[in-house]
Amino acid sequence: MARKLTAPLILAAVASLACAGTGRGQTLQRLTVQAFVLSADTMQPQVDVPFHVVVTLHVRERVGQITNLQLPMLAQLELLGDERQTLTDPRGTQYREVVTVVVHDAGRFTIAPATLQAIDARDGKPKQWFTNDLPLSVRASATRVASGVAAGLLVHVARILAALIWFALLVGAALLAIFLLRRRAPLAPVRAPVAEPVSYQRAPSESERRRHQIEDALLVLRAERTRSAAVRVRAAVWRIIGAPEGETLGDVLRRPGCGEGPLRDLLVALERSAFTYDEDLAAAVDDAGAALERYAESLT
Amino acid sequence: MTVDRQPGDLRAALAKTIVGQEGVLEALLLALLSNGHVLLEGPPGLAKTLACRSLAAALEGDFKRIQFTPDLLPSDIVGTRIFDQRESRFATVLGPIFANVVLADEINRAPAKVQSALLEAMQERQVTIGPESHALPDPFVVMATMNPLDSEGTYALPIAQMDRFLMKINVGYPTREEELRILDRFAMADTQPVRCVATLDDVRAWRAAAHAVHVDEKLKRYIVDLVAITRAAQSVAVKSAGGTTLKAADLIDYGASPRATLALVFLARGRALLDGRDFALPDDVRAVAAPALRHRIGFNYRLATENVNADVVIDAMIAAIPAP
Repeated sequence: MARKLTAPLILAAVASLACAGTGRGQTLQRLTVQAFVLSADTMQPQVDVPFHVVVTLHVRERVGQITNLQLPMLAQLELLGDERQTLTDPRGTQYREVVTVVVHDAGRFTIAPATLQAIDARDGKPKQWFTNDLPLSVRASATRVASGVAAGLLVHVARILAALIWFALLVGAALLAIFLLRRRAPLAPVRAPVAEPVSYQRAPSESERRRHQIEDALLVLRAERTRSAAVRVRAAVWRIIGAPEGETLGDVLRRPGCGEGPLRDLLVALERSAFTYDEDLAAAVDDAGAALERYAESLT
Repeated sequence: MTVDRQPGDLRAALAKTIVGQEGVLEALLLALLSNGHVLLEGPPGLAKTLACRSLAAALEGDFKRIQFTPDLLPSDIVGTRIFDQRESRFATVLGPIFANVVLADEINRAPAKVQSALLEAMQERQVTIGPESHALPDPFVVMATMNPLDSEGTYALPIAQMDRFLMKINVGYPTREEELRILDRFAMADTQPVRCVATLDDVRAWRAAAHAVHVDEKLKRYIVDLVAITRAAQSVAVKSAGGTTLKAADLIDYGASPRATLALVFLARGRALLDGRDFALPDDVRAVAAPALRHRIGFNYRLATENVNADVVIDAMIAAIPAP
């Protein structure tokens, strides 16, 4: 009898399978996540009867493998097997992982969402995606229900049942063999949950994208209140508004939409923080931070 | 900055009298703040004298105008010693150069000896007459003019002499709207005298403030790069009036001197102060680059034969250096 894997071992094993071939320090993949779903072939499994938990991911990019995908902690389940499949076509990549599990105790419990860490190709920011969770209602098996029936009757019925079962198994095995020889059908989920309507599926507007970038710049400036950080943030803001390097502030302010309002204040404040004298730098960085906040607010 | 009255007030006061000519007014103020002198090239009748006179009046300073002619002598500018028969001794008579604002009109009409006397006084800020040395007033700004239209009977200033001017401004004709405003202001109404808005002490304080304006390391490197490219402009391409593409280096005999580097820093500081800042920006350098460089670059004969405007070459070189 195979030794049962404990919960942490299950997690470690599955995680290592999911991340096979990836180094610890590997950079995140750049993906456009279109669907990320957790399902099972039954939501009411029976005790000691194996069933399948399926993770399905679809991304727009064509990639050879999916890294940094973490399956949920399957603490109340025994892992029997794991099969992964990555298919690419012109529409992108379909990743499907089927985990065969069995549960030994009746009751209700929920499998937590699977997670994926990647760079969102829509805006270039690192993000973590979650599937739906999976509530299961585990029923006791027929053999356990029958344990209270009288022994004589049980033996009699058992003999009949055994004969029927053997017959059914033979017929089933024959049919299954024929079926498998013709086509190996994929596991079809009994009830596939609808993919979560994730916000990432909607491409962010130009204004939202710019606001996120400005907020990132603000984080940088708050984390590092130095001249070099101010210069980097100034360069980043110039890139955001499409101004090439080598222009002066005057050139940038003459660009459409740059010469007025919060953006103008921001550009002037960043110019000050990049070129003012050392004693004024802290105040200049404060002003630049406030100007970044005001500009980010104006984009909402 | 601890000065109550700001240089911007002076500019506003001058703008109430002078219509347009923002470049001339700014050049005058920058020269004042940077302790330098200005060379103006442009046709007559463009309010150069009025600008100088107004500046002097706005500062309660002295103004003198010297018309340079071929028969002018150095003593006509700096002064001379005459024998006082009643006192039986030589007395010194100071020349018109002893003023806060001096207009040297058509400086290229006087021979080299006279030009040299003026330029030496500009540089040394003192004049020696006989055995005595006399310090020039402080502030002391010379605005020299040259007429590009009438070059007969003129003595061109050598580059070495031109280098002593902090900047050279090409004065152009006013726009149609500005000319209408000139009509309204000077032909249809009584002109108002310029109001005094600052004192000579204020100017000295502004100069000290300008000297303290911060110039970042990035900006210093930008300035050095701008001057350096005038000496090695192989990578800069310019187009002639006929559409031919030329290398800027082929049009230049020699580039700007280190005095140009210093001038760019002084002028950028002055412009920052005029704008109310105590730190200079790339915009300040970019704005003063052409006036500070154009009279310090030695162009060769190909500039004329290929029909290329010198300012086009200078602008191309400035544009070739990315601002920090």
